[in-house]
Amino acid sequence: MVEEFHNELEKLKKQVVRMGNLAQDMLKKSVKALKEKDTDLAKEILNCKNEIANMDEKIEQDALKLLTLFQPMAKDMREMATVLKMITYLARIGRYGKDIANITLELAHKPHVKELVSIPYMAKEVDSMINDALTAFENEDVESIDGFTAREKNVDELRYSIFRECLTYMMEDSKTIKRCARYIMVARYLERCGDHAVKMAEKVFYMVTGDHIDLDPPGPTPDCEL
Amino acid sequence: MSKKTSLEMEVKDLDLWYDTKQALKKVNMPVYKNKITAIIGPSGCGKSTLLRCMNRMNDIIDKCRIEGEILFDDKNVYRKNYDVVELRKRVGMVFQKPNPFPKSIYENIAYAPRIHGIKKKKSLDGIVQQCLKDAFIWEEVHDRMESSAMGLSGGQQQRLCIARALSIEPDIILMDEPCSALDPIATAKIEDLMRVLVKDYTVVIVTHNMQQAARVSDYTAYMYLGELIEFGETEQIFENPQEELTEKYITGRFG
Ligand SMILES: Nc1ncnc2c1ncn2[C@@H]1O[C@H](COP(=O)(O)OP(=O)(O)O)[C@@H](O)[C@H]1O
Ligand SMILES: [Mg+2]
Repeated sequence: MVEEFHNELEKLKKQVVRMGNLAQDMLKKSVKALKEKDTDLAKEILNCKNEIANMDEKIEQDALKLLTLFQPMAKDMREMATVLKMITYLARIGRYGKDIANITLELAHKPHVKELVSIPYMAKEVDSMINDALTAFENEDVESIDGFTAREKNVDELRYSIFRECLTYMMEDSKTIKRCARYIMVARYLERCGDHAVKMAEKVFYMVTGDHIDLDPPGPTPDCEL
Repeated sequence: MSKKTSLEMEVKDLDLWYDTKQALKKVNMPVYKNKITAIIGPSGCGKSTLLRCMNRMNDIIDKCRIEGEILFDDKNVYRKNYDVVELRKRVGMVFQKPNPFPKSIYENIAYAPRIHGIKKKKSLDGIVQQCLKDAFIWEEVHDRMESSAMGLSGGQQQRLCIARALSIEPDIILMDEPCSALDPIATAKIEDLMRVLVKDYTVVIVTHNMQQAARVSDYTAYMYLGELIEFGETEQIFENPQEELTEKYITGRFG
């Protein structure tokens, strides 16, 4: 019985990692599609929407079944709790990928205001945080989430710098407003994904150590004045 | 759970041997007043032995040798000339298998108060009624006090035994796997009862049902091979045990 539970728990965690890879993929490709105005790729991401929702649903059901049947304790319980939280964050990350893909389709008929550099750079930073949170989860090792507080602050800074950059273009040329407003939204989405990576890291920390940690303590918000 | 805790009893450096076999090794454990302490651990690790030390029930076992102390009211219950009869009055016990006397329901409860000198029928009636009420069984038996206790269901018998333990007005109630012979509904009733009793008594329970320990107790002690491996607040033990042995046992990764 207990062995069965541990086997099932392992399977459940593998499902979470697969869901994580999909969410990561959706977000990464959405930014690539945006940068390259690749509408095919954007549509491909929209098609993943159901897949990730189904994974979310399936993992949740499996987890609830295990909770009911085995009433796990200690680390087993912490792993289950972490799984249930992780899938919510991952589903949101996937959804932001979908939102960025939609923006890609909206903007596809016009050239970019200028070549996109900051957004892909920010996306890369966020992706590596998601990746490290997932790695920590998979390996049950909190080493890779070291420094998340600073990385989250960095992502916040990037969002504000994109915001400021966009404001400049919009004031110079009102024809860029629609596009720039979308870039600002994308930066906002990416920043939220970074927050979700931090939340996942906190949950993984709890899973591994049993202790609660605040990786995003309140501090001075970055200056968003012009 | 209130934060205010005071010591009811304290086990200090307790060693116990059955002949040459050491069954308890340097056990140190507090027992807090008006709290439920659960003792968990694999079969044969010494849970019952430790529980029995708390009212010196091991005295009746041949070749049982004890070193160390158990402090109760600042006195070591194992010191010479300690009044064991008085100790057993103040530390009552409920066993795994319900063991009512083969007598009437009334007599089961009146028995101990009577040997402790209460003779007046009216006083005895009062005690019997109160104990049965406190043990949540009065409603079920008040109209058949003269029937044999053996006719009750297992769960009722166990609550009767708890009522009987209450009849001597103890400070501490020891329970050795009190629910292991009961069905889930009878078990739930005893667990509810424990949570009520703990307002007036201190409870120590041995259980091999981890969910039960997690549900009812305030503190949990984990024992292994005669040693107390970890003691802590129940939430901490079941959410985040500090010892690997505890973790392994609780998550069933044992052996
Ligand atoms: N009366 C006894 N005589 C000799 N050995 C005993 C006696 N009671 C228990 N033991 C031994 O002491 C150890 C602890 O037993 P016990 O306290 O009953 O464990 P638990 O309650 O955790 O299952 C076991 O190895 C058991 O065989
Ligand atoms: Mg036992």
